[in-house]
Amino acid sequence: MIALVVFRIAAYVRSHRVFQALLPILVMISIVYASRAPRGAEAAALTDSAVLVIPFLAWAARGLLDTEPDEQRAISATGAGGRLREVAAGLLAALVTCTAFAALTLGCGLMLGLSATPSRGVVSAGVVLHGLAVLAGVALGALTSRPVMPSPAYSVTALVAGFLMMLLVGASPAYWLTVPVTAWMKAAGAGRLVTELPGLTAISLAWCLAALTVYGYLRRSRP
Amino acid sequence: MGSISIVRFFITTMRAALYRYSTMWLTQVSFRYRRRDRYVIEAAEARLAPGDVVELTGANGAGKSTLLRLLAGLTRPTSGAVTDRPAVVGYVPDRFPTGQPFTVAGYLRHMARVRGGARWEPWAERVGLDAFSEVRLRELSKGTAHKVGLVQALMAEPGLLVLDEPFAGLDQDTRDALPQIVTEVTERGGIVVASDHQGGLGTLDGVRLWSLRSARLIEHPPSSSPADSSALDDSLDGSPGVFAASGDAVAVEVRVPARDLDGFLRRMRDDGYPARALTEEEAR
Repeated sequence: MIALVVFRIAAYVRSHRVFQALLPILVMISIVYASRAPRGAEAAALTDSAVLVIPFLAWAARGLLDTEPDEQRAISATGAGGRLREVAAGLLAALVTCTAFAALTLGCGLMLGLSATPSRGVVSAGVVLHGLAVLAGVALGALTSRPVMPSPAYSVTALVAGFLMMLLVGASPAYWLTVPVTAWMKAAGAGRLVTELPGLTAISLAWCLAALTVYGYLRRSRP
Repeated sequence: MGSISIVRFFITTMRAALYRYSTMWLTQVSFRYRRRDRYVIEAAEARLAPGDVVELTGANGAGKSTLLRLLAGLTRPTSGAVTDRPAVVGYVPDRFPTGQPFTVAGYLRHMARVRGGARWEPWAERVGLDAFSEVRLRELSKGTAHKVGLVQALMAEPGLLVLDEPFAGLDQDTRDALPQIVTEVTERGGIVVASDHQGGLGTLDGVRLWSLRSARLIEHPPSSSPADSSALDDSLDGSPGVFAASGDAVAVEVRVPARDLDGFLRRMRDDGYPARALTEEEAR
């Protein structure tokens, strides 16, 4: 399966689709960290970047999963020993790619975007939130990829709508009904990120895993 | 830890070897794309033993590619089951997907790694692909791209080889070589199923003839061919109650209780006879 993961990432890079996600992420990093976050606002700055990178990670995951032509997916499935492995390899390749993009975002934030060195707790929280952003991005990208949504127009609309729903529902009292990205930002702005992180992580993780499970279920009838 | 890994590797390897060649079954396999669609395949029953070669025919849109995908495990049946499929499956689509950013050698190297380190070079040489190693997939002609599809399927010594229109676009040398390649796969104990409009595997001994008509999978007796059955189909268009003959085929009229009609027709079709009920006007 690792060989299939390598094949898919190689196809993503060699087809230059990787730039469709990398360039917008670089632009986002430039805007978010254009002026260094003031002392005491390190957690808020890192949380903002973790939230804002989600749609770009979803775009990257969708792009990677859609690089492979439909018939190649069939060939890959027989080569890897079953459709389940092909689906898992695609998700793993998207996870690796999005982790690289998230690490770039977090690294730029820590090295260039902060006025003061953040505490170890804030850095850990930033790592956890960027990790959750990766999962949310992969799940959203997978659910809007071609096997699930063949129409490019509906797919892009669903991707954007999915992220907007996370923002809007996450700002409401029923924030636990989605990956509560606005609640992440609220907690960081109020200086409660480290204490509230376990609860927010549990909710976010549950929704990401649920979305990935739905993707796996849908792919049973959408080869 | 190391010994556990070795044992696990051994078990995995043995399991793959054990199930590489096996008898597979289709049990009441039906398929439709959506809930309210008509069935593309309906209640297909078949047994495929090691060494079998099956030539599948049918009109355009009859469901040949769908049946091949069901056999290869790429599509789940709506109902019924395909069981005991050999562990290693080779699948050659009717159109190889050339829209990929690799050269021929680069692509086949990746597929060889996916297949656990299979050797692709001898197969590439055999089908005349070695001269195209550094050519990009996008630049290949249809026939040459089809050879890439053949090589990726053959390199792993498949227990089940599924070929969708394998002769389309191939040059004469490869067309001549393909029956021999199929024979080698079956002599190892592999099963080969090919949809073929061109009868390219007809030269092989013991080829089983399947056809798809009206969503039904029909196996024709070795002595007859789908062409004979077509003649029978034509003769069935004759007047009811009259024995009509066309070549070696005759049309017969059988009266059965209305409640037994479906079962009777199914049994006849399963036996390879293109049976159908007469319309009310024909029966008058």
